[in-house]
Amino acid sequence: MRALVIEDDAALREQVAGHFMAEGFVVDTAADGEQGLYKATEYPVDLAVIDLGLPKVSGVDIIKQARKKGCTYPILILTARDGWESKVQGLEAGADDYLVKPFHKEELLARARALLRRSGGWAHSTLESGPIVLDTAAKSVQVSGTAVDLTAYEYRLLEYLLLHAGRVVSKSTLTEHLYAENVERDSNVIEVFVRRLRTKLDPDETLKPIDTLRGQGYRWTLPRK
Amino acid sequence: MTSIRARLLLAASTVLLTFVALCGAALETAFRDSARGAQEERLRGLTYALLGAAEPDEKNELSLNDANLPEPRLGQPQSGLEAAILDEAGTTLWHSPSVDGEPPVVIGPEVGKWKFERLGESGPFALSFGLRWLGDQPRRYTVLVLESPEAYEAQLSIFRHTLWTYLFAGSIVLLLALLLVMRWGLAPLRRLEGELREVETGAAPQVGARYPAELTPLTSALNAMIVGERSQLQRYRHALGDLAHSLKTPLAVLRGLAGDARLADEPRRQLDEQVGRMQSIADHQLARAATAGRRTLAQPINVRPIADKLVAALAKVYADKNLVFSVEMPDGLTARADSGDLYELLGNVLDNAAKWARSRVSLAVAREGNALLLVAEDDGPGFPDDAEHLLGRGVRADTRVPGQGLGLASVVEVLSAYEGRIALERSAALGGARVTIRIPAA
Repeated sequence: MRALVIEDDAALREQVAGHFMAEGFVVDTAADGEQGLYKATEYPVDLAVIDLGLPKVSGVDIIKQARKKGCTYPILILTARDGWESKVQGLEAGADDYLVKPFHKEELLARARALLRRSGGWAHSTLESGPIVLDTAAKSVQVSGTAVDLTAYEYRLLEYLLLHAGRVVSKSTLTEHLYAENVERDSNVIEVFVRRLRTKLDPDETLKPIDTLRGQGYRWTLPRK
Repeated sequence: MTSIRARLLLAASTVLLTFVALCGAALETAFRDSARGAQEERLRGLTYALLGAAEPDEKNELSLNDANLPEPRLGQPQSGLEAAILDEAGTTLWHSPSVDGEPPVVIGPEVGKWKFERLGESGPFALSFGLRWLGDQPRRYTVLVLESPEAYEAQLSIFRHTLWTYLFAGSIVLLLALLLVMRWGLAPLRRLEGELREVETGAAPQVGARYPAELTPLTSALNAMIVGERSQLQRYRHALGDLAHSLKTPLAVLRGLAGDARLADEPRRQLDEQVGRMQSIADHQLARAATAGRRTLAQPINVRPIADKLVAALAKVYADKNLVFSVEMPDGLTARADSGDLYELLGNVLDNAAKWARSRVSLAVAREGNALLLVAEDDGPGFPDDAEHLLGRGVRADTRVPGQGLGLASVVEVLSAYEGRIALERSAALGGARVTIRIPAA
């Protein structure tokens, strides 16, 4: 998952970025509205956290322009002006949820996860597909009621595929959304992880949850519950 | 004397009454003098007539033949007109038959002189004339003519009556005219008062432009003040927003630090607690300061767009729950309140309802006489028994639900500025919570 954090206060920006990274997100940050607008419209983003009071370009304008350019990822606004008028403005512009400063780390992450699964079309915090159950809150995976031990990268890959269940996800998209820029992008790594994930989830090869579409990428095949 | 009207009226009527009184007194004096002059003239004429008819009698004294009287009234007793001829010693030589008894004693004037007087305060008018009768032996006489003052007094009384009646009527007419003039003259002030009241109730944004030259500086100053006050409030709001922003971001950092696993549990707990306190203090003060309250110059706000925007926003925030929102209010319902305050009130109440609702949230806004009535209901679990505690700052009904425990407390904050009331009950219609807010004269 790739999160974009646009916040002008350096300490808070680093902190929020840190929270997301600790959760296994790849995080991009922007310190002002101009930079934020650029990254919001040009970068691969799964979730944006945008402060409303930004220098140069306001948070509301970033949201409006990103939506105008067809960006559909969920947006969480951070606001210090806890007036409803500003919240309504942000939500009207296209944001999906708001969080009033100061907030707890848990609340921020819970909201972010909820927005991500909502945008993936999931109604609950546990993603169920066939016998496979992924609990986004506990970060645990079960197959037919039995816990499966996944590494952090495997979990993130599975979460991404599940959130985009039924859609084709290219390898480059996966590398973009699962790895930071400074990590060397080697599409073989993705192949390795997909193979390992298949083995762990479907040792008997009866479920076949992940399709490989040659030259296009991967697709989660099991139906959502 | 606080009323201009009363001042003008008092001054004008004092001047008017003084003028009328002086005028009446002058006219009366002039008339009395002229009536007195006429009286003297008449008596003088009578004296000449008497002298013409007089002749010496057998005793060589000047006398008159009663059959030869120049004026018939002199012959009638009690006619009020009397005449007598006195000698040098003041003894009556002759008197007209109209004299009852002896004529009054009068000190006669010198020869050839007239003396006109009034005998006593309300006695008759007396004219005496001193003469020397040139005959065989010249003698000195005094001719005395008396007339009772009844005719004179009657004439004077009629004049007085007429004079004062007209003056009184005239004063009344003048006072009425004065009232009308004042009414007309002060009409712009009354209009200004009405317009200011409209601005106050929010029916008009400003005071109109068409005023007399004397009032134009005042009205333009008033308008400038109204505009200034509005923009002042805006600036104040923005300054507060900036303050909130600058305070809350570092607080958010501290709060994040409190979650840092590298710190020991005790400092973390304390840090979190203190940050929470700082946050609620800042929230409390900012909410209080930002609440515009009952602003006398507020423009009326259309309520429905605000409610619709909030519902759209909340539907998005609680998209997972697929809540059905219903908003009921008459079209064009306006409230005399600050729009930011309305956002806070409705936003917090609706947010609270949406947070707890299972599937439905309803809002009804209505006008009850002068008051504005807001009722929000949901089909959630409803309020706990000690619901009033929820109104306290920072108390949450159940901390499992993320959100600011402030919700209803800031509602209370806003309401206190509007002298409003809030009641927490169970919703009869939806089975959950029901929040009723009443804002008087909004």
